[in-house]
Amino acid sequence: MTRADPEYGHLSPLLERYAALPADHPDREQLRDELVRGFLPVAQHIARRFSNRGEPLDDLVQVATVGLINAIDRYSPERGTDFFSFAVPTISGEVRRHFRDLGWSMRVPRRLKDLHVSINSAVSELSQNLGRAPKPSEIAERLGVPVSEVLEGLEASEAYRSSSLDEMLSSEQGSATVGELVGEADAELDRVDFRQALRPVLAELAERERTIVLLRFFGNMTQTQIADRVGISQMHVSRLLAQTLDRLRTRLDPETRVG
Amino acid sequence: MSDLDSPSPADALDGASTVEVRTSASAALIPTIRAVASDLAARADFDLDAISDLRMAVDEACATLVDVAAPTSWLRCTFLVRPERIEVHAQVQTKHSDAVVSTDTFGWRVLQTLADEVTVHHDPGVDGAGPTVGIRLDKRSGDVMR
Repeated sequence: MTRADPEYGHLSPLLERYAALPADHPDREQLRDELVRGFLPVAQHIARRFSNRGEPLDDLVQVATVGLINAIDRYSPERGTDFFSFAVPTISGEVRRHFRDLGWSMRVPRRLKDLHVSINSAVSELSQNLGRAPKPSEIAERLGVPVSEVLEGLEASEAYRSSSLDEMLSSEQGSATVGELVGEADAELDRVDFRQALRPVLAELAERERTIVLLRFFGNMTQTQIADRVGISQMHVSRLLAQTLDRLRTRLDPETRVG
Repeated sequence: MSDLDSPSPADALDGASTVEVRTSASAALIPTIRAVASDLAARADFDLDAISDLRMAVDEACATLVDVAAPTSWLRCTFLVRPERIEVHAQVQTKHSDAVVSTDTFGWRVLQTLADEVTVHHDPGVDGAGPTVGIRLDKRSGDVMR
């Protein structure tokens, strides 16, 4: 962007003034509003580039605008870089982060995402009441929706990577009680004579993953029981177990897997 | 192909709903097979633990078999959906008749835990048919609480 730019050129001096103002200057707010309004088409344009991935455009524009505000706040003209070459990556980065935080690894319609949330809470409620994992028919009855919809929602859950909040919330909680949880399972592990050196490979795992594997395969607990003990959802236990088995499979030498 | 030839669904499979998936014996195709497994279990109203267990068990069994499969051979997976349980037969052709799936591995422990019953079948092959190895799994729709 140069001063000669017909669309945004007039904003250049404003950017410079904004960057030069001290943080508590009374003019800052008005100037910032003016800059955001002026550059808004840039944020909208970037948002539209991501609009085919199943997220509503309005949400994306909002996220992109947050990125734009960050870019305006952090831009320093004295470094000599053009505002656009700083702002465009900042804005796209914000939108990308939005997708990543959503935790969906593939495009899933909003309706199914909402359903995923309701299924998750129905599952934990029903597990408590029933003392075991619920069946799709039981979830459907609880939510008052057809079984076919629950099946669809469960299928969509497979596309959910719980890298976000669920993960962060549970990791501290999991490790606190690990010692007492795995004591028995650990002893059972010692009694099993495998051809593979399993213990060192297990030791490489994160504590919570290790706990879950031990409880499931050496502690005789179901996923629902483990979920209850470790303090995360059954679906999360299921995902972690599947991921961990996959990792163990590659770590354990295939030569020893096979006779 | 001896054992690899399907009996007709009606007589040999005593009326169970049958789904058969055949892929190249390649690890890259296992996600497709396990998706079929979890879909069948969900539609048969297995509880969520059982659905997830079956999915992982099929994954483990297929991965084990792909390891011993002859190059450019098939992995065949048959699902027999019965009331309250699903039976899975996974089978590959092996290059040599001495290729075996051993049962003192962690993988086997995983299968034993996830499935209600699991057995391995080695067939040396006769009359020019190649040797095969198969794993049979049985999974009930709900875990019996201990």
